[in-house]
Amino acid sequence: MPDEEPSLNISSLLTLAVVSFFVIRWFLKRDGDAGEGSGRSRERGNVVNPAQVEQISQMFPQLSTRDIMWDLQRNGGNVAATTERILTGRGLETPPPSFQPQVAMPQAGAPTVPTAATSAASKLEGQDLISRYNLSAKVAGDGTETSQSSSQSGWSQNKEERQRLLQKRRDDMILAARKRMEQQVKASA
Amino acid sequence: MSTVAQKRLFHEYKNLSTNPPDGITAGPVTEDDMFHWEALIEGPQGTPFEGGVFAAELKFPKDYPLSPPTMKFVGGGVWHPNVYPNGTVCISILHPPGDDPNHYEHASERWSPIQSVEKILISVMSMLAEPNDESPANVEAAKMWRERRSDYERKVRDEVRKGLGL
Repeated sequence: MPDEEPSLNISSLLTLAVVSFFVIRWFLKRDGDAGEGSGRSRERGNVVNPAQVEQISQMFPQLSTRDIMWDLQRNGGNVAATTERILTGRGLETPPPSFQPQVAMPQAGAPTVPTAATSAASKLEGQDLISRYNLSAKVAGDGTETSQSSSQSGWSQNKEERQRLLQKRRDDMILAARKRMEQQVKASA
Repeated sequence: MSTVAQKRLFHEYKNLSTNPPDGITAGPVTEDDMFHWEALIEGPQGTPFEGGVFAAELKFPKDYPLSPPTMKFVGGGVWHPNVYPNGTVCISILHPPGDDPNHYEHASERWSPIQSVEKILISVMSMLAEPNDESPANVEAAKMWRERRSDYERKVRDEVRKGLGL
């Protein structure tokens, strides 16, 4: 067929190919230069993952997606950092008018929640709270040991002390409930 | 070393310890693993759960608070329409904002980073008082709650007493 149409011969096709190659190259290069020119903003992660944008805009529907994209682009697609920034009240910056968000093709993106439904750990199903927390000795003591000053709150700078306070609050809560229930059962019997 | 999630969980732990809401105790099982908590919730007054104490474990994802934790009652069943027979709690605040398989929850009811462990536990407390009949996790319990309320209440009271070892 090139014989029938002399206007489209091999050499003109070649020329077209060469010219378009240079045009495309020029375009790509110009893009790269612009990136260097406008500083670190384009250095890395200059493509925004739409799943991340979606994730944040669902949490904060009042924010504009453009602002979210701008922030994500600048911190390299770190959703946690952007969220932290919004939550701490610093807010998001308004992107410059020249900002043209480049949106990547949707990918697996957003971190998935580990479904912990199948946790093997849960100690002995069907166990009551007294045996679960080893409180039978204290129950037998019939409340004399359980301090009346049920420490409602507590915090300590010391890790072990904190752990102890938490455990005490747990134990007190269970023992108090147990005592009330005991009286109730006795009363109704 | 400590991540955003760990810092946030530690902060919540501190708040819950210094200023605990009524009838709620919660904290990490050990501080070496901030992603695994245990909570105690008192049964709300004026309901068959009254007088009971319910233990639950909370498991947090590494990207908390972007994603919600899961919550599961342990050590004995909580007979309730919105609690699976294995103890896993099913309420809107524990659902990530993105998916709404049932299309009946408002986005505002679902999980978002402005929610907290405290809000989850308070929501679970009010769930105990007022089951949501729309998407039962425990079909048997839901049916009983709907059709034979007095049986349901008796069963719940029995479980409450057993939970306290009586």
